[in-house]
Amino acid sequence: MSTVATEPAAHGSTGPRMHGHALGPLRREWTKLLFQRRSYLIWGGAFAIPFLIALALYLAKSDPHGGDGPLFFQRVTGNGMYVALAALSALLPFLLPLAAAMVAGYMISGEAELGTLRIVLLRPVKRGSFVLTKWVMAIVYLAVGFALMLAGGLLFGAIFFGLHPMVTLSGSTVGVWHGLGLIILCCLYGLAAMACIVSLALLFSTITDSSLTALIATIVIYIVVQVLIAFSYFDWLRPWVFPNYFLEYLNFFRDPIYWTPILKGLASFGAWSFGFTFVAYLLFRRKDVLS
Amino acid sequence: MTQAVAEAPTPTEREGTRPEQRSCGGRVPILTTHALTKRFGSLHAVDDLDIEVCRGDIFGFLGPNGAGKTTVIRMVLGLIHPTSGHAEVCGHRVPGELQGALRHVGGFVDDPPFYPLMSARRNLRLLGSMTGPVSEERIDEVLDIVALRDRAEDRVGGYSHGMKQRLGIAQALLHSPELIVLDEPTSGLDPRGMKDVRELIRELGAAGTTVFLSSHLLHEVEQVCTRAVIINRGKMVVQGPVSELRPQSDAVKVLTGDQGKAADTLRAQFGASSVLEDEGFLIVQAGEDAVPEMVRRLVADGVAVRAVVPAPEQGLEDFFLELTGTDGDRPVLAKRRAGLARLLPGGRR
Repeated sequence: MSTVATEPAAHGSTGPRMHGHALGPLRREWTKLLFQRRSYLIWGGAFAIPFLIALALYLAKSDPHGGDGPLFFQRVTGNGMYVALAALSALLPFLLPLAAAMVAGYMISGEAELGTLRIVLLRPVKRGSFVLTKWVMAIVYLAVGFALMLAGGLLFGAIFFGLHPMVTLSGSTVGVWHGLGLIILCCLYGLAAMACIVSLALLFSTITDSSLTALIATIVIYIVVQVLIAFSYFDWLRPWVFPNYFLEYLNFFRDPIYWTPILKGLASFGAWSFGFTFVAYLLFRRKDVLS
Repeated sequence: MTQAVAEAPTPTEREGTRPEQRSCGGRVPILTTHALTKRFGSLHAVDDLDIEVCRGDIFGFLGPNGAGKTTVIRMVLGLIHPTSGHAEVCGHRVPGELQGALRHVGGFVDDPPFYPLMSARRNLRLLGSMTGPVSEERIDEVLDIVALRDRAEDRVGGYSHGMKQRLGIAQALLHSPELIVLDEPTSGLDPRGMKDVRELIRELGAAGTTVFLSSHLLHEVEQVCTRAVIINRGKMVVQGPVSELRPQSDAVKVLTGDQGKAADTLRAQFGASSVLEDEGFLIVQAGEDAVPEMVRRLVADGVAVRAVVPAPEQGLEDFFLELTGTDGDRPVLAKRRAGLARLLPGGRR
């Protein structure tokens, strides 16, 4: 080992290749995400699923009994614009909540598991901003997932079926660019829905030191709520729980757009996200880091 | 102490009550704790602890495993919140002004953890940028200090335990902090690695950095530190300059041709409690003056004396064990023997 430098170190003074200003909190969290293999699994899935949907429908086209499937799937066969929308309707109930729970559930408890929580918190970073950075980065991660899904949908839709003007649920026809705008709005709505899952998972992530526990707790709650609101007895519950509004993005495809349920959904997502994240923030500020 | 500290007394009040423990003299304290207490349920992990580290010290924080050392470090660095009491670190009160304190502190708690898929350089860049801008030159410098420059681009996941410990020290040095807190930095290292790390700590001290070194090895603290505190079960046992911590021991190690017979002879001369067997040697609590007479008696009894050497560290270990109380181990040992006797076929008694 060589001798120890005696002079006080450069606190941002000199040096041609400086880091630190450039490496802001978001950039650091982004780097952490890129250095986790599982990140790419979800992204890969989000890109691949539109391909599978397009391929399956393309092959089924020649089959007279084919073409059945969830919402939008029948229309896909004539128009690639619907592939992205079909992918959204296929992913929003499960893969995307799973991705949201995974990435946000890992954010803090994952660092606790790895032990790195006890070294990053020795740096002069406020715990509150640490939690909020984590929240933002989970949303960014999912936004990339949505973008990949959208890109995959348009790409494979164009290849297999071509992109054509879309027919709305009200029966009117909108041009390709208008249709694309509506699809992007749907994805943004989906992202807002996922913010609830992110916030809930982040809350569990601050409580437990096991990322798997945070993930499972989030998914269990999500599924329990889904099951509950499937029964008409619990209809009174529906307005109060966020999964109830997950499918309201369909209202973007009414002409004119039917905003009331969309806005109700966004209000619900905002309230739940804020509530969960705020509790996560309070808990983490006082948390004893023993990992 | 039963004193419930809702509001910690000022340093001067404390100085009044415990003058012997405030020993920075003219020097400036850089890390002090004031009635620092942490309870986990009914367990008093840290109990009313007052320690004082002065600027320029290489301060040994000594205690057996489970004494509460890591809990103290976690409180001082803001990872956990004290039940009562507080710390002052580099002029900032913790908790309260934690961020201010952490700007001037580097270190790690337990084993230094890193992101396994990232290279050492990327880890340093990421951690360093949380405190402030870090130049690539500075990263090279700290990697040189811990002799990891040629492995800088390798994934930390492939590092050995010793390399990770050194990388932990490197990340602590990134911003040339005033105070470096190292939690058992030599634990799990091979002798070569231990020696390297201890030398590095001495050099850091010589360069003017204050080092807070937690250790459960008394001789390590003896070798490296200027001042030390010994804690046990969350309470302070003794604090002061290392040279004053150790009692002068006059034990000698004796090796003879017939240790059994020699033990009998020596017990007759010095009393049974002064003669211990330890790894093939006899440890005798006897001053240098007693050695000629001791050897004469052994020879007279027909025991061939092969070696008699001073064993000051023996006294030190005893002192440490006595301070940190080993009485509690006895029932454990008895239970272990009973358990083994049941487990082993034809169990030995």
